Amino acid sequence: MFSSGVTRELTWVITTLWLLLFFCWLTDWWVESLIAYLVLYIFRQLWSMRKFEKWIEGGTVKAFPPASGFWSQLTYLVSRKQRALEKHADLQLYKSEQFKSASMLIPDAIVSLDQENHIEWFNASSAKILELRRQDVGRKIEGLIRQPEFIHYLKDEQYQDTLTIHSLQGVQRTFSVRVIPYFDSHKLLIVKDITELYNLAQIRRDFIANASHELRTPLTVLKGYLEAMIDTPGEHQKMWAPALQNMQNQSDRMQAIIEDLLTLSKMESETFSSEVEVVDVPAMLTRLRVEVEQLSQGQHQFSFHIDQDLKLKGYAEPLKSVFMNLVSNAVRYTPEQGRIEVRWFSDSDGAHFEVEDNGIGIAKEHIPRLTERFYRVDTARSRATGGTGLGLAIVKHVLERHQATLHVDSLIGRGSIFSCNFPVQRVVHQRSDSAL
Amino acid sequence: MERTEFKSHISEQLNRNLEDLFNQVLEMGGLIERQLENAVTAVQNADVKLAKQVLKLDKVINNEELEIDRLCARVLARQQPTASDLRLIIIAIRIAVDLERMGDEVVKTAKLVIKMDEEGVACHTLPGFSSLLEITTCANSMLKKVLNAFARLDLSEVMDVMDDEERMDETLKSALAEVTEGFKTSDLPPECLLEMVYSLKASERVTDHAANIAESIVYLVKGQEVRNIDPEKLAEYLQSVTE
Repeated sequence: MFSSGVTRELTWVITTLWLLLFFCWLTDWWVESLIAYLVLYIFRQLWSMRKFEKWIEGGTVKAFPPASGFWSQLTYLVSRKQRALEKHADLQLYKSEQFKSASMLIPDAIVSLDQENHIEWFNASSAKILELRRQDVGRKIEGLIRQPEFIHYLKDEQYQDTLTIHSLQGVQRTFSVRVIPYFDSHKLLIVKDITELYNLAQIRRDFIANASHELRTPLTVLKGYLEAMIDTPGEHQKMWAPALQNMQNQSDRMQAIIEDLLTLSKMESETFSSEVEVVDVPAMLTRLRVEVEQLSQGQHQFSFHIDQDLKLKGYAEPLKSVFMNLVSNAVRYTPEQGRIEVRWFSDSDGAHFEVEDNGIGIAKEHIPRLTERFYRVDTARSRATGGTGLGLAIVKHVLERHQATLHVDSLIGRGSIFSCNFPVQRVVHQRSDSAL
Repeated sequence: MERTEFKSHISEQLNRNLEDLFNQVLEMGGLIERQLENAVTAVQNADVKLAKQVLKLDKVINNEELEIDRLCARVLARQQPTASDLRLIIIAIRIAVDLERMGDEVVKTAKLVIKMDEEGVACHTLPGFSSLLEITTCANSMLKKVLNAFARLDLSEVMDVMDDEERMDETLKSALAEVTEGFKTSDLPPECLLEMVYSLKASERVTDHAANIAESIVYLVKGQEVRNIDPEKLAEYLQSVTE
C-alpha cells in the first residue's frame, strides 16, 4: 500500500508514539511531552535533510548519508540510480572507444570536417596519406590539402560524385576523394588509394583498344581476298561457293565486333574528342527509320511518335549508335509481323527515348546483366541474328556520358520496353525548320 | 601569432576577410605546387602537352595575385588592422609576389621542354638535365614545406628550407659548370644549351623565392625581421624560437 520509504517512516513514528504515550502515562506530562516530541521530530527531519545534502554534494569523505527512516530509503534509491548511470556511461564509453579504434584502423583516410571545413578529428591513416598532424585539428582542410582540383571539389559541393586525383601531397599515386555530408552539416572526407585498381582498369582499356586495332588490319586483308575469290569465275566456284559465302559472313561479323569494341574503348577513354553540341534528334530518328525499315525488310510494323521540337545537348555520333542499337535489337528479337513502337518525348523529368516491341521478351534474371559485354540471353539465337554482343554495352557507356539512364521493362513472350531517360539540363526545345 | 582560428575579433567582417585572405594565399600556393609538379613531369617525359598546360595555368596564377592584392587593400582600407593582423596582410602581399614570380620561373622550364621538342633534341641528353630535375623537385618540396608552415604557423621546418636553398645554390654552380663544358665539347645546338642555362637559373630562383616566403613566415609568426641576417645567426635564432 505504501512505498517502503513511507512504511519505514511510519513504523518509526508509531513506535516512538507508543513510547511517548507510555512516558506520558507514567509522568502525566501530556502537553509538554507532545510539544517536545514534535520539536524533536522536526529537528530530526531537518538534520537528516542537511546530512543528505552534504552527502549528495560529495566532496568530503566524512559525509555519510542519513540512516533514519524515510531518508535511508531515499539514499538507497539515489545511490542505486547513480550506479546504474555509471554503468551505462562506462558502456557508452567502451562502445565509443571501440568505434574510435575501429575507425583508426581503417586503411582509408577519414577526416571529419565541420561546416566551415575545419578539421574535427581524423584517423591514423590520414596522418600517413594526407600528412595531417595532431595539432592540425581545428585548422581549415583547404590550407593543408591544396590541390586545386580538391579545393574546387570542396567548393562545388557536388558531393554525389567522387573525385579522382593523380597526386596528393607530392605523392604520385591515384586517389579517390569523396565527401559525405553527415550529422547536421558536418562532412566526412574519405580518401582512398586506388592506384592499383586504376592501373588495372587502364591496362584493360588499353589492351582492348590495342587488340581490336591490331586485329582490324589482318581482317581487312582476309576479307579482300575472300571477295576476290568469290568474284573470280571458274570451276572452283561449284565446290567452294557455299564455304566462301560462309567465310565472308563470319568475317563480316568479326569486323562488326571489332568496330564495336573500338567504339566501346573510345567511349571509355577519358575524353570525347568532339564538343558538346545540340543534336537534332528528330532528324536523326527520321533517317534511322529508313535504315531500320530496310533491316526489317517489311516484316514488322513500325510506328514512330517523335516530338519534332525536342533536341538534346550531347554527342551526335554516339547518340546515333545508341538509337540504332536499341531499334535494331527490337527488330532482331521481334518475330515477323511484330509491332515496334519508337517514342521520343519529354516531361518534367527530362527527355525520353523509348523503344517498345511485342517480341520474345527477356526473363527478369537477365535484365541486370544485359549491358555486360558479350552477355547473351540466348547464345544460339543472338548469333543467328548477327548481334555482336556489345550493342547494349555501348548504349550504357554513351548514356553515362550524357548522365542518362537505361531502363528495361520486359515480360517473356509479351515484349520489351527499353527507355533512355535524359536529364532536364540536357534538353533543348527548339522549333526545327524541317518540320514546318 | 599564436592563434590559428580567425575568431578573435569582435568584428565578424574582419575575421572573415582575414580568413579569406589566408585561404586565398594557400590556394594560390596550391596552384604553384601543381605547376612545379607538372613541370617536373613534363621535363621527365618530354611531355609537350603538359608543358603547354603549364603556360596556360600561369595566366590563372597571375589573376590570383591580383585577387590577393585586392583583398589586402580592402582590409587595409576598411579595418586598419594592427599587430599580427597587419603583419599577415604585409606578408600576404609579399608571398603573393613571390608565388607569382615562382610561377613565371616555372614557365621557363616548361618553355625548355617545348623548345627541345621543336629542335628535335631529347631533353635528357642535355648536360645539367639531372641537376635541373633535382633542383625542380627540391623546389617543390621546399614550397610544400613553407606552405605547410604558413598553414600551421609552425616554424619547425623553416630551417630545412633555408638549408635546402643553400644546397641548391651549390647544385646550380656545378650544373652550370657542366653546361659550360657542354658549350665547348658537345655538338648540341647552342640555343638548346642556352635554354638549359635559363631553366637552371629559373629553377634556382624558385628555391630563392621559397626561402623568401620562409623568411616572411618567420616575420608573421614572431614579428622578427630575418631578412639580410647571416645564416649562422638565423640558425641560432630559429633554434631558439622553435624550442
